[in-house]
Amino acid sequence: MGRLLGSGLLALAVAFPSGAMAQGNIKVGVLLPLSGNAASAGQQSKAGVELAVEIVNGKHPGIEGMPATGLPNLNGGRLEPVFADHQGNPSTGQSQALRLIQQDKVAALLGAYQSSVTFAATAVAERYGIPWVVGDSVAANITGRGFRFVFRVTPVARDFAYSYVDFLRDLKDHGMAVRTLAIVYENTDYGTSIADALRTAIREAGLQLTADISYSANTTDVSSQVLQLKDRKPDAVVFVSYTADTILYMKTMKQLDYRPKVVIGDDSGFSDPAFIKNVGAIAQGAMNRSAWDIGKPGSVTAKINDLFKAKTGFDLDDTSARNMQAMFALADAINRAGSASADAIQAALAATDLQADQLMMGYRGVKFDATGQNTLAATYLIQLQGDRYVAVWPARSATAGLQLPYKGWQ
Amino acid sequence: MTILQIIAGGLLLGAVYALFSAGLTLIWGMMNVINFAHGEFVMIGMYVAYLVVTYLHGGPLVFGPAAAVVLSLLGVSVYFGLIRHVMRGPMIAQILGTFGLALLLRYLAFWLFGANFKTLPDDLIPGTLNIGGILIGMPQLAAGAVALVLTIGMHLMLTRTAIGSQLLAVSEDREAAMLMGIRPDRMLALAWALSAAGAGIAGAMIATFYYIVPTVGESLALTAFVVVAFGGFGSVPGALIAGLLIGVIQSLSAYVFGPVLKDVVVYALFVGVLWVRPQGLLGKIA
Amino acid sequence: MRLGLGLVALALLAYPLVLRGAFYERMGADLLLAAIGASAWNIVGGYAGQISVGHAMFFGIGAYAPLLVFTHWQMAPLIGVPGGVIVSLAVAVVVGMPTFRLQGHYFSMATIAVAELIRIVVGNWDAVGAAVGLMGPAVPRTVLDLTFRSAVPYYYIFLAVLAVILGLTFVLENGRAGYYWRAIRASERAARSLGVPVRRYKLFALLLSAGFTSLAGSLYALMVGFIDPESGFGILVSVEMIITAALGGVGTLLGPLLGAAILVPLKTATNSLLGGGGSGLTYILYGGIIVVIARFQPGGLIDLGRRLLVRARGRAGRAEAHAA
Repeated sequence: MGRLLGSGLLALAVAFPSGAMAQGNIKVGVLLPLSGNAASAGQQSKAGVELAVEIVNGKHPGIEGMPATGLPNLNGGRLEPVFADHQGNPSTGQSQALRLIQQDKVAALLGAYQSSVTFAATAVAERYGIPWVVGDSVAANITGRGFRFVFRVTPVARDFAYSYVDFLRDLKDHGMAVRTLAIVYENTDYGTSIADALRTAIREAGLQLTADISYSANTTDVSSQVLQLKDRKPDAVVFVSYTADTILYMKTMKQLDYRPKVVIGDDSGFSDPAFIKNVGAIAQGAMNRSAWDIGKPGSVTAKINDLFKAKTGFDLDDTSARNMQAMFALADAINRAGSASADAIQAALAATDLQADQLMMGYRGVKFDATGQNTLAATYLIQLQGDRYVAVWPARSATAGLQLPYKGWQ
Repeated sequence: MTILQIIAGGLLLGAVYALFSAGLTLIWGMMNVINFAHGEFVMIGMYVAYLVVTYLHGGPLVFGPAAAVVLSLLGVSVYFGLIRHVMRGPMIAQILGTFGLALLLRYLAFWLFGANFKTLPDDLIPGTLNIGGILIGMPQLAAGAVALVLTIGMHLMLTRTAIGSQLLAVSEDREAAMLMGIRPDRMLALAWALSAAGAGIAGAMIATFYYIVPTVGESLALTAFVVVAFGGFGSVPGALIAGLLIGVIQSLSAYVFGPVLKDVVVYALFVGVLWVRPQGLLGKIA
Repeated sequence: MRLGLGLVALALLAYPLVLRGAFYERMGADLLLAAIGASAWNIVGGYAGQISVGHAMFFGIGAYAPLLVFTHWQMAPLIGVPGGVIVSLAVAVVVGMPTFRLQGHYFSMATIAVAELIRIVVGNWDAVGAAVGLMGPAVPRTVLDLTFRSAVPYYYIFLAVLAVILGLTFVLENGRAGYYWRAIRASERAARSLGVPVRRYKLFALLLSAGFTSLAGSLYALMVGFIDPESGFGILVSVEMIITAALGGVGTLLGPLLGAAILVPLKTATNSLLGGGGSGLTYILYGGIIVVIARFQPGGLIDLGRRLLVRARGRAGRAEAHAA
């Protein structure tokens, strides 16, 4: 019996190796959906984070301007990412976070794509006093709990909603009046939080919401929704959808010959490289929000994109880019802290003050308020022209001219 | 006008539902087994189409039959490898067996093809038909037409051919069929081949206008169950009528009540049918 | 048998003291929670033979109730737990009564459909958090909030609940209820013709099962501090309960616990070792295991153990006879 117990424990110990810290390396845990429905997005973000760590560790001398490159304050120490798959499940997210904290002894955590998982897992990090930097989840309540150790670099639903409305109002000056809108959104936390923020922003701007269509993600047929839009004839349609639904909508719109004046996709489905690959040709002129733009050839951002493309075969997308930026912000804080101490890193994060020209994203900077939210987060609007997205708004960040109305498949 | 458009779309989609549900109902009628992995059979059909288009550069005339062949083989293997044994076992084994198979197939697809969405090129079946203002995409039309033909074909085969009557005999009374010299084992395997082939072809056709991802099986399976329950377990003509009906009900509900409630309507209908008339419209009493 | 039970109990009690560290403690708590859910399902699915694939409906209700109480009235989530049980029992009656008329596969499909229905409705109902879900207390206000930093208190609470379920099951198993359930499972028609009050005992099994499943859901919500329609009512919740019970052995007392003891560490190990690779190997393994059980050993591992034991005893007996 004792032998059985002993060999059982041995087996367990082998299965869960505890990470002895390599001399001088600081480990950062990264929680992403690496299997399951969101796996493609998770894998892209993983590649992005790996690239960011390589750059920070000094492996790509051609990339200049990113903060903390070479990690000068760490006396030769390097960052080491440790990835964990939460499979889209909040409870698994928590136990994987625990594994990273307890077994791999990570100094900080990053993640986790799905807001529900981020929400649940950050609670664990807070309880253990390990800093967590959120790169991509937009649900408002993640930074609304009075936590000290949770920091979010990305803009949130509110920011996006106001950007869209500002853009649409700007169109008046371009001779295209947009008075009515429709929101089509998938009904989980992602879609509903953006839709809620949009409704408020639309109301305040004095615009009119003529169609408010919520649907279940992974639906089999969207013709009824498109027909509804055709009936109500809004000037602009905002889609808040994941990749699968987005592909379906674009195809159905072509089939039913429906083209509103303006099509705005809220990231996610529209940013997934699968979108351009599968329906790019019939969705020309679709707008998207992104804080990421590849930029002019030879610029730092273009070089980063080249590296990413060499690694994965795809252009860098907004979601992966936001996670990369989060890793850069975290690296900067770890560098300033000069150690792997959680409290030192937390203090360094709270004091973060990065300028716009130190970032790969189009944020105005990175500075966290008392709740941990980056107050300088901002977004561009980009447009699909040809086989890539280009920044078209606001004017100061535009790299190409705005082409309206929406072309679709023409 | 819009209503007509919706009904047209619903009917076409419904025909496809009918095709993949026909096989499911046949299996049920013959051996009282519900194949929880049926949705995955459809999913595999979609991937066969994808592989044919990408690597063999074939079109629908190639991948349709290809899907039928691949899935028939799979159906027969599943029957001999798993179903034949669990059929005679406890209920838990029957349910677990096909459930486990569903998981296995779905995650094997994830592993082999990745989670990335794939679609077939737009120009495989190009064009949109415009009949008096009603727009019908050619892929949908082709899928609906093929599905209708095949489902009716299956019904005719069952009722008009020798082999069909053998299948029906096994479904009516297995012992009596054995006494008549019919080999139930062979007939059951054939039924599985037909069922899987139907699902595969349906999947291959759907792939021309839908996206391909390992998880499509989940929602399609539920739809198939609803159609089978509605039409009557064991009745192919029932599956045809029910499929068309469900397609139209789904489309109309989506337009009138909104897309989220359309799912609620369909499930509520399902549960209602099971309670009020478990044998469905045309099925035999269980 | 007594010795075996005693050893199991000892091992369970000692586990957190032997395997220390937050990760192992959490895994132990996860293991016990899985055992509770599977044991609860086992009552109606294993003993009475009614394979419900929609048990997530009770789990979800049990998980939402405490967090609703906290969200709307700022009370300790624990207060909502009995409410969850009551609602689950009500749902069990409403769903069970008409559905029990259905045979085998019909019943299973109906349970799937009802669970999906509830999931969709909850996902679109703002008062219960819609798709965003509900959260629990972020920082504990009083001990009653049950928001522990370490997983060890959860572990022992879960252990106590598991002991209650298993104890109750043990008593019923050897009494009239167990006798009737076995008859119903073997053949409903025969049971009815022998005068067994089939409907009443099926309902009894379902009510017990629903109540305990609801409890499992509440415990989950207390530990994780977050619930949404997918993690509460998703079909994987139901499926995992069934697999866990089936692996160990449906209709046996310790089968679900055995299944949990194998599956939870297995799932965690494959995720930790291969998760970074992202191929979803965990679920391929799951599917494979289920198919193998269904095909070769529907009675689960306990049944396998019994058969091997019988064979070994038989051999020993023959050896004795030869030697004599």
